Amino acid sequence: MGTKDDEYDYLFKVVLIGDSGVGKSNLLSRFTRNEFNLESKSTIGVEFATRSIQVDGKTIKAQIWDTAGQERYRAITSAYYRGAVGALLVYDIAKHLTYENVERWLKELRDHADNNIVIMLVGNKSDLRHLRAVPTDEAKAFAEKNNLSFIETSALDSTNVETAFQNILTEIYKIVSQKQIRDSPDDENSPSNNVQTITVAPTDNSADKKQKCC
Amino acid sequence: MMCDSPIEVHKDSKKHSFWRTDMKSVPGRSMGSPRKDVSRGAGGAKAKDSFKDFQEETKDAWDDGDDDLIQMANIRMSLRDVQHTALQVINKHSQQQQQQEEDVSNHGDHSPESAQNNSAPGTPSNGTHPGTPRSANGPGVGVRLNSHHNVPSATPLHLRQKPVQDRQNSKVDKFKTLLETPHLDLDELKTISWSGVPKQYRQTAWKILSGYLPPTLDRRTLTLERKRQEYYNFIQQYYETRHHEVHQETFRQIAIDIPRMSPLIPIFQQSTVQKIFERILFIWAIRHPASGYVQGINDLVTPFFVVFLTEYIHNDVEIENCALGNLPEEQLGALEADCFWCFSKLLDGIQDNYTFAQPGIQLKVDALKHLISRIDAKLHQHLMQHNVEYLQFTFRWMNNLLMRELPLRCVIRLWDTYMSEAEGFASFHLYVCAAFLSRFSQDLLRENDFHGLMLMLQNLPTHHWDNEEIGLLLAEAYKLKYMFADAPKHLDKKR
Repeated sequence: MGTKDDEYDYLFKVVLIGDSGVGKSNLLSRFTRNEFNLESKSTIGVEFATRSIQVDGKTIKAQIWDTAGQERYRAITSAYYRGAVGALLVYDIAKHLTYENVERWLKELRDHADNNIVIMLVGNKSDLRHLRAVPTDEAKAFAEKNNLSFIETSALDSTNVETAFQNILTEIYKIVSQKQIRDSPDDENSPSNNVQTITVAPTDNSADKKQKCC
Repeated sequence: MMCDSPIEVHKDSKKHSFWRTDMKSVPGRSMGSPRKDVSRGAGGAKAKDSFKDFQEETKDAWDDGDDDLIQMANIRMSLRDVQHTALQVINKHSQQQQQQEEDVSNHGDHSPESAQNNSAPGTPSNGTHPGTPRSANGPGVGVRLNSHHNVPSATPLHLRQKPVQDRQNSKVDKFKTLLETPHLDLDELKTISWSGVPKQYRQTAWKILSGYLPPTLDRRTLTLERKRQEYYNFIQQYYETRHHEVHQETFRQIAIDIPRMSPLIPIFQQSTVQKIFERILFIWAIRHPASGYVQGINDLVTPFFVVFLTEYIHNDVEIENCALGNLPEEQLGALEADCFWCFSKLLDGIQDNYTFAQPGIQLKVDALKHLISRIDAKLHQHLMQHNVEYLQFTFRWMNNLLMRELPLRCVIRLWDTYMSEAEGFASFHLYVCAAFLSRFSQDLLRENDFHGLMLMLQNLPTHHWDNEEIGLLLAEAYKLKYMFADAPKHLDKKR
């Protein structure tokens, strides 16, 4: 939806990370195309999609990078963290191992992404109630402890997918607009080559945000 | 394996390949040696003659099919010589063409035999140079090289309609004869396979081209028995270890990937098939700890599986829907073992694609970038201007050998050529990728932002592609290889 809407006020780069098979690609396709494939092919390298949403009367274009989950790929995929202002760290509520690995993904972000990146922990496949292996409270507590926002979603039945993206984009927007960073683009000016400019958000002097991520 | 052939065969093969693959000299460069008779491999007339000499010798340099292209695969030649020769060829053709006032639209009626009438209709008569994207049968490429052909026929590369049928039939005959020869000449098999292997001979041809089956006919059955048994022993030895702690992660990843491998093709949803893939991949992975299992290599088993399955499926049953459970155990086992070995052979040639940090892929992406900047500067500029990085979209092309970008039928056809090329899956693939990207140049130039470009690059419109498109792609790739592969200075700027 709306990949051609070239007019936007803000462009935010967001990455989807997490173990293989937790449903990252389906979260992306649900959010950007309202599609879901029970057996979608594994992601190789990275894949890309966009969608624009409205926040506070502003048009925000999300440029979302879906990454391959296998560890082998991290050497390559970590290059894609550059310039990202948000990350959805996804695990599968029915597979405890994918939750245990969240720590490693956080480290990955600390090593390769900007310090001020906004991170949301996402427990996907909430439709698999009978198979739940990760209690909501436990994940919630973990998120609080690590200053992450938290949500449970189901790409299959659409639960909370919209909300998850809406929330993280809003959070980023608030940070960015408060900071009055360099160019919040005026009207028509925003062709793609300010992909770099968007990465605005991270400013090093923002004390309050620092504590959030570290 | 190749050493088993008796001396006769060696002699014979000299007759066939005018350009020897092990040739040290550089055709196209003046040798200072007197011209030799190139019309037959008479006596010791070795391939010392220059390319130019040969070009003069042939009446008409246009090739009648992709078949002969392979023979030039390992020749080193400078760009200048290529261009010079190309120009000569073009001029000669323009003259001929004018003389004959050939009607381009008639060309479908010419049979491949009617040499005079076929001076490459439809080929631009001038202004073409090796870099022109349209001229897939480009100058300097479609040059007849087979010294044993007495009368060079001059059919355009992509003559369609009636003659295609004839050519198909003769091709089928060629394969039949060759595969039944007691001591098959591997070079000859590569030569005729380059332009595509007829379906019924593909499984045998692939096994030989992979280096899995020996060229010697009466050793094939024994080899198969031995290798299959060896694989069954691997299963015994290793498959049980999949639940051991060290291998758990590998197996878990494989088990996640298999069901979503080709979700739309029913046969890959059968548990019999999925188990076969699991074993092949797991055993390969733990026997190759430097790379282990990497997502994407599972795709690479598919073409072997589909092609080898044809041996056991009759009456044109749709492979996609065939129920594998109905096949006898023994056949399933043989199928699995054959896939394993050929898949292993394939990966042997590209293992650095899958070792830590995937250096093979990074190098190839880098090389591709520089190649495109040379052959399609406009597109390269366009991509750079919009901050599209090659790694972002070509990583998958390299990691999965374009299998995600092309329909399976096209991949199978593509592999006919890869198996016939020296380092087909490694280096020739690079040129195919370059030709592939360049082919969409016009469409991409119309996209004028990062998003549009990326979305298109991730979903290039190839659903309708068939052999014809692949043929053009390969011809173009061949041309690129011809110009660049052996002239590394052309790509020197890269580092």
